[in-house]
Amino acid sequence: MKAVLSKCLRAFKADGQLRFGVIGVIVLLLVIILAPILAPHDPYSYEFVRLLPPGSEDHFLGTNHMGQDVYSMLIFGVGTSLKVALISALISGALGVLIGGLGGFLGGWVDQVVSEIINIFLMIPTFFLILLIISLFGNSIANVMIVIGITTWPGNAKLMRAQALSLRERTFVRSAVALGETKTQILFKYILPNGIFPVVANTTRSMAGAILTEASLSFLGLGDPNIISWGQMIYQGKSYITSAWWISAFSGIAVILTVIVFYMLGDGLNHVLNPKYNYGRSK
Amino acid sequence: MSKYILRRLFSGILTILMVFVLDFIIIKAAPGDPVRTIMGKETDDPELRAALMEKYGLDKPFHVQFVSQLKNMLRGDFGNSIIYNRSVADMIKERLPATLLLGLVDCILALIIGTALGIFCARRDGSFIDNFLSSIAYTLDAMPSFWLGLMLIIVFSSRLNLLPAQGMENVREGYEGFRHTLDVMEHMVLPVMTMVLITMPGYFRIAKSSIQQVTSEDFITTLRSTGMSEKMIFSKYIFKNAILPTVTMFGITLAFLVTGVTLVEIVFSWPGTGRLTLTAINQRDYPTLMGVYMVMSISVAVVMVLVDIAYAFLDPRIRYDK
Amino acid sequence: MNTVLSVQNMNVTYVNKSKRVMAVRNASFSISKGDSLGLVGESGSGKSTLAIALLGLLPKETTEITGKAIFLEDTDLLSISEKEMNELRWKKLAVVFQKAMNSLSPVHRISTVFEDIYRVHEPHATKEEIHAATVRLLKLVNLPERVYHLYPHEMSGGMLQRVAIAMSLLHSPQLLIFDEATTALDVVTQGQILKEIVQMEKELETTRIMITHDMSVVSSSCNKVAVMYAGEIVEFGYVKNVMVHPQHPYTKALLKSFPALKGEKRKMESIPGFLPDLSKEIPACVFAPRCAYATERCRAEKPLFHSREDGSGTACFLTEGGAD
Repeated sequence: MKAVLSKCLRAFKADGQLRFGVIGVIVLLLVIILAPILAPHDPYSYEFVRLLPPGSEDHFLGTNHMGQDVYSMLIFGVGTSLKVALISALISGALGVLIGGLGGFLGGWVDQVVSEIINIFLMIPTFFLILLIISLFGNSIANVMIVIGITTWPGNAKLMRAQALSLRERTFVRSAVALGETKTQILFKYILPNGIFPVVANTTRSMAGAILTEASLSFLGLGDPNIISWGQMIYQGKSYITSAWWISAFSGIAVILTVIVFYMLGDGLNHVLNPKYNYGRSK
Repeated sequence: MSKYILRRLFSGILTILMVFVLDFIIIKAAPGDPVRTIMGKETDDPELRAALMEKYGLDKPFHVQFVSQLKNMLRGDFGNSIIYNRSVADMIKERLPATLLLGLVDCILALIIGTALGIFCARRDGSFIDNFLSSIAYTLDAMPSFWLGLMLIIVFSSRLNLLPAQGMENVREGYEGFRHTLDVMEHMVLPVMTMVLITMPGYFRIAKSSIQQVTSEDFITTLRSTGMSEKMIFSKYIFKNAILPTVTMFGITLAFLVTGVTLVEIVFSWPGTGRLTLTAINQRDYPTLMGVYMVMSISVAVVMVLVDIAYAFLDPRIRYDK
Repeated sequence: MNTVLSVQNMNVTYVNKSKRVMAVRNASFSISKGDSLGLVGESGSGKSTLAIALLGLLPKETTEITGKAIFLEDTDLLSISEKEMNELRWKKLAVVFQKAMNSLSPVHRISTVFEDIYRVHEPHATKEEIHAATVRLLKLVNLPERVYHLYPHEMSGGMLQRVAIAMSLLHSPQLLIFDEATTALDVVTQGQILKEIVQMEKELETTRIMITHDMSVVSSSCNKVAVMYAGEIVEFGYVKNVMVHPQHPYTKALLKSFPALKGEKRKMESIPGFLPDLSKEIPACVFAPRCAYATERCRAEKPLFHSREDGSGTACFLTEGGAD
């Protein structure tokens, strides 16, 4: 563990993407914490001055059709995006690790069933499935997070399965088997903790995916109308695209920046966790 | 080889079955009363209810419903829209050409442009132009397609007034013949541009990395040491080896073509299946939504199987694996 | 005497932004027609770099090469243009690389690759001509004719190695370089192939450089040997002499670290210590830090290569007296 930590530190110094990602996430977290201070207005307060263009006094990114301050909405939107990203990625990661780990570790028919299910899920248009479930079960933000989580696990499961397959053959796992530890013990003590790193890197990427999915759902009118989200803002701005471009434009830029932060973090983590990737070498 | 094809066919069929099961479970588990939806909110006549239950087979046990619905699906019957009272299959059929037009043009343009840029940058790794294009690709990857579409509308349509932003043709003018084709092409520019920009980075990255990887393989060094010209090595040996991942990606894009353009269709009011989806969502027309989902899933599965089989002919290694 | 290749004071330096790594320093040796030279050393000793530099395959931007390598008495391999080099390649100078399984394109049939390589120098050759020429070569390396129409993944490692050898012989080159060509094979296949190579050379009169870290490969398939350590040739001589009476302490140690192919069993010893840092000038004997016999002089001064009339010799103060 210590070795991993020191490698992370070295990688943090050497890998620009990782540095960008980590700093980006810290900034986003700070924005969430400091939102009441950073935002000059209550994003839920409706004013009479509607569709004010950016640069207006008091509303430097303008206001929307309800008179809400766009900048303050953006600030409060960070929380929504990160919440969706985190919870859906946790669900997807946990399901993927468990199912993939079980398949790879137990092998035999269990593994065959698991890998067949993974393959099938990878062939299903996931976004459509999400859309269908949300429109039938209601578009609360909780539903959105859960549904994204339970439809995106196969990617994680695939990674975890491969890890478990190779870990199973390693000496320390074999000796644990020889020492008579139960399968459950081995799975939770050796297989899952040692094989989880690639899933972690992948999960960062799926957090970015979740943010984009939430935005897409909102754009179809399937977002949660009771909260502030960037996807929702793009959706609302669509009707005013010719007269008030700023509503959609700025919220989209916020989505892109956040997604890039998570991409960078994921790529950086992949570099750190990939043993072939060596820091200190010139190329 | 035939074993490989059978294996792919089997998993294709399994996928379709799985989609159907999911579909069935989702309907049964969904909150709300389907009969109520059909009847409307005003009446709650028990006789009408019973009649409707019988008509839609809802009075029968689950497994009977399951089998009869499966039979319907196999016959190509994906249910009826409760709003338009029309067969979902027919409605999709009507709109499919517009979607395919948009999707295919995008697939082909993205493939050509993305791959060409990838090859271009593979040979200039780390140069300014490479870094520039790679950063753009990275950003485009993080971009929601519908947002990009909206931005293009702002710039090219509402500011510069250059291109139409809505629909597939100018309905008011009602052009015919060649003028009509031109009109459709003009309407296609923005949606196609959006789609190409969104799908291109994938091709760019794959082409670039696989060319770099193949170039560093031992067999390329061997060929160089034979005195073979770089041109020959590239066009025949590097290219054929490096193009395989691109072919895979093209296949997947092709399979997900119909679902991939949905959001962009909605942005540009393109009269394809995406619009159908949006209307169904807005009007709570669940049977249509389910039908669209089934048709799309099936088409994805079918195209994926076809692509896999086609791939086996390209890569000799696959034919003998398992 | 018919000298095929004469390398004189050859240096190869890898250059990047922060470092200059002198991978080959001051290498000199020569081989005559029909010779088979084993170039041995542990990994990182510069033996492969030397060979790849001779073939002109090192990236020009990141390497500096000085010295001479006179090929066939008139061409300096280190200074000719790319175009002239391409004329020589495969026609006069061919190579078989490490891991033959990777040295053939996985998506092309053997026939396609052979035809293309053959046509590099014989652009108008017909398929039939090439086929006939190839089948003869395949027979030479004990492969059946049907191999010609296979894909690489349909063959075993040993078969691929034989294909690679046959490929190198397409234009009957004067000089063949084997870069760890048999390393990845199992011992039995390796033995067979080495036997075939020796047999084949008697018929074809080619000259061969065999790069390997395995002394047993040298002893069973070469007549001369050059021992490299840290970029320098520390001993050169006839296999029959060097294997029996190694002069340089490194050669002695190297021989002890491999099991004898025949003869009585003896204890295997590994050499303690590591290769020196090649990015620094070494003003002393490169092997001194690991040498059991090193003296003060060895650590302070660089021993020069002393060669006798037949070209054999060592770079070591301990053997300078000419003891044999």
